[in-house]
Amino acid sequence: MDVSQYLEIFIDETSEHIQNLSDCIMSLEQEPDNKDTINEIFRAAHSLKGMAGTMGFKRMQRLTHDMENVFQEVRSDKIKVNSAMIDILFQCLDAIEAYLDTVKETSNEGTEENEAIVNSLNAILNGGDPAAAAETPAAGQDSQAESANEEGADEGGFAMKFLKEPLSDEGKDALVAKESAGCKVYGMTVYIDKNCLLKSARAFLVFKAIEDLGNIIYYNPPSQDIEDEKFEFDFTIFVESEHEFEELAEAAKTVSEIEEVVGKQITSADFDKPAEAAKEEKKEAPAAAPAPATPAPAPAAKPAQAAKGGKGGKAATANKPVTSRTVRVDIEKLDTLMNQVSELIIAKNSIVSISNTEGDGTHSQSFAEQIEYLERITTSLHESVMKARMVPIESVVNKFPRMIRDLSKTLQKPMDLVMTGEDTELDRTVVDQIGDPLQHLLRNSADHGLEAPDVRAQRGKPETGRIFLNAYQEGNNVIIEVGDDGNGIDTQSVKEKAIERGIVTAEQAESLSQKEIIDFLFMPSFSMAKKISDISGRGVGLDVVKSNIEALGGDVEVKTTLGEGSKFIVRLPLTLAIIQALMVEIEDEKYAIPLGSIQNIENIEVDEVKYVQAKEVITVRGSVYPLIRLDEILDVERKDPEAEKNKTSLTVVIVRKGDNFAGLVVDKLMGQQEIVIKSMGDYINNNKMISGATILGDGEVALILDANTLM
Amino acid sequence: MAGENALTTIDGDKKQYIVVKIGSEQYGIEISYIDNIVRMQSITRVPKAQEYFNGIINLRGEVLPVMSIRKRMGLQEDEFNNNTRIIILKIEDRGGLGIIVDQVKEVVELGPNEIDNYSPETKDERGDFIKGIGKNNNQLISLLDLYAIIDDKEGM
Repeated sequence: MDVSQYLEIFIDETSEHIQNLSDCIMSLEQEPDNKDTINEIFRAAHSLKGMAGTMGFKRMQRLTHDMENVFQEVRSDKIKVNSAMIDILFQCLDAIEAYLDTVKETSNEGTEENEAIVNSLNAILNGGDPAAAAETPAAGQDSQAESANEEGADEGGFAMKFLKEPLSDEGKDALVAKESAGCKVYGMTVYIDKNCLLKSARAFLVFKAIEDLGNIIYYNPPSQDIEDEKFEFDFTIFVESEHEFEELAEAAKTVSEIEEVVGKQITSADFDKPAEAAKEEKKEAPAAAPAPATPAPAPAAKPAQAAKGGKGGKAATANKPVTSRTVRVDIEKLDTLMNQVSELIIAKNSIVSISNTEGDGTHSQSFAEQIEYLERITTSLHESVMKARMVPIESVVNKFPRMIRDLSKTLQKPMDLVMTGEDTELDRTVVDQIGDPLQHLLRNSADHGLEAPDVRAQRGKPETGRIFLNAYQEGNNVIIEVGDDGNGIDTQSVKEKAIERGIVTAEQAESLSQKEIIDFLFMPSFSMAKKISDISGRGVGLDVVKSNIEALGGDVEVKTTLGEGSKFIVRLPLTLAIIQALMVEIEDEKYAIPLGSIQNIENIEVDEVKYVQAKEVITVRGSVYPLIRLDEILDVERKDPEAEKNKTSLTVVIVRKGDNFAGLVVDKLMGQQEIVIKSMGDYINNNKMISGATILGDGEVALILDANTLM
Repeated sequence: MAGENALTTIDGDKKQYIVVKIGSEQYGIEISYIDNIVRMQSITRVPKAQEYFNGIINLRGEVLPVMSIRKRMGLQEDEFNNNTRIIILKIEDRGGLGIIVDQVKEVVELGPNEIDNYSPETKDERGDFIKGIGKNNNQLISLLDLYAIIDDKEGM
């Protein structure tokens, strides 16, 4: 049986279930009596078990099964939730995750039995209620007993639904044709186990099995609906075959999670007399429901119920399945799509530049209109692709509560993690890579930031430390703040450490600003930890955080108050590939300034430039901005330095970064343009002032200025 | 440009080299590192870059840095003419890199016994980038050590 094509769905769904379980167990720890949570955990464990079973991952199935057992008992109030049990449950989760990782790598669950965890789970069962434990001696048997239970609770019968099939005329014609050709035609309705999670996979396998024995001439629902799982737990097949019906039914039932197959030989006459068909069904059903199927044990089909007919079946299928309106797409496909959009935009830009330079009014009005139309389309195409790539940061941050819980135990410090804005969206590539830096920052807060409980008590703070993670969007950036209400950064001791390490001399240290001192923390192998712990302190923390975030085009800022806590502010670009930018010219060099960082543009008379501490500043509507002469810091060679000096007015682009502003002096504004960011590779050093390059419409390369680092 | 050698199969340990002219000397670049050879085109200057980088170019939608091998080896400034070429190198996983040479001459094949180890009597900047001397029909070809060229000690 080939289930490999469902492996990806399995992996995705299992990860979701694991996350869900983790969240639930966390909240269970807070409120051990919450019935909803307990039920949720039970359901998630049950689903996991079912999926693992479907895929043939026996070890994983066993573990989740035992977990489910424990919750079965918790649910029926036979066992109380306690901290030891929570710990074991987390171990379980880790083990399941390990299975999943192995599956991801090898498509196989591996050979780790996790005997210890299974034993502890059983110990909970036994310790909690010996009577219950006696009922569940071994995993294998128990599975049957429990399935039987579920079966009993389930009032669903197995009706010969196929007899009520609203056959179209063509369908009937086909039937008549087969009949007259002397073939035996069977109708059958296949019932899938209601707990089955991969219905369409099951249906597909049944189709395959039956096709080996005969020709399927009709089936309902249509194949598209089956593929999309848009059907209840049964489907109908008409098959022409020379085999007996029992053989067909057996073949179908070799597929696991098929609960029952009912059917019989049919003739076209069956569909002319619906009333009779119903009668027929009553008589026929008990005989047609044969021995129990292996994977769905103990149904024994309850012949009486089956005979009672369609009513029960209908009731059971009353809940419409919620069909998901999403598709899963390989991220590589989106990357390709994004690259193609980039190429398209470059091509569009060159058409625009040709029409501008060669135009001279010779182009018709409609040509210009079409170009405008093209521009609108490429822009909205880019936006759509960008949105398709956006995912909430949730998938990354929701593993943190668990991490903080574990840290709290290891470090013996009580602490809480408060998160907001988990639904903030970022480009998938950024989300994938932001996990580690954030984890570093949180560990840092837990380990170095928060004081020991007794110290906190002395300082009049609540004993339980508070760690927070806030995410929100700000213009073209997403801000993620990570911080704590702990000790804050002791700049004095950082300074001493820097002197001790010979990074600065004692005299130099005196004149350092607080920001400059904090920057030491981001230097490679500069660890402030007094002793090296598992959690942090090996000096591979903050510098890696910084370089990871900068690699994503973002930056990190620190705010700290000694004794009150510190806050790391991570700023990330919304998108990586394409941005709107203002093109400017300095002498004959072209530069792009991202529109997101531009506040406004001003024309300033030269004599309005003032000096503060020997630095040029300008005043615009009451605000003072420091002036940055781009030609100077970019070493632009002036062809005519004299003309430069005689200029009477300056074009100033005012850029902002957080609360800081600066005015950039440029020669000429060239207009706004959509640009595709290209990396320059790692050979060239550029002082970080240049965040990348872009290709202009005429094929020329322009550099993109990083306004953040210019300040 | 490519001599008849380019078409013959490579026997044994022989490696193919592209012979280029830089100043008055001939240098060999192992062919397996070469991705492309293009004509001189407009180069965008990158501020604050290492002094021997001329800037970046647009090669069919890719942005690539371009290095002046002359400046790298401490020779006088390039003079661009019709023979000037940019050789695009692809070294392992690092992105492409262009180096400017005065002229591309031919492809030669050199076996290990046709290559002498280079032991400079005087260590100068140029010598740092040579890993051996190849002999081909009475010509001497200095074989460039590309790793030394891309290894950026001063820039860090």
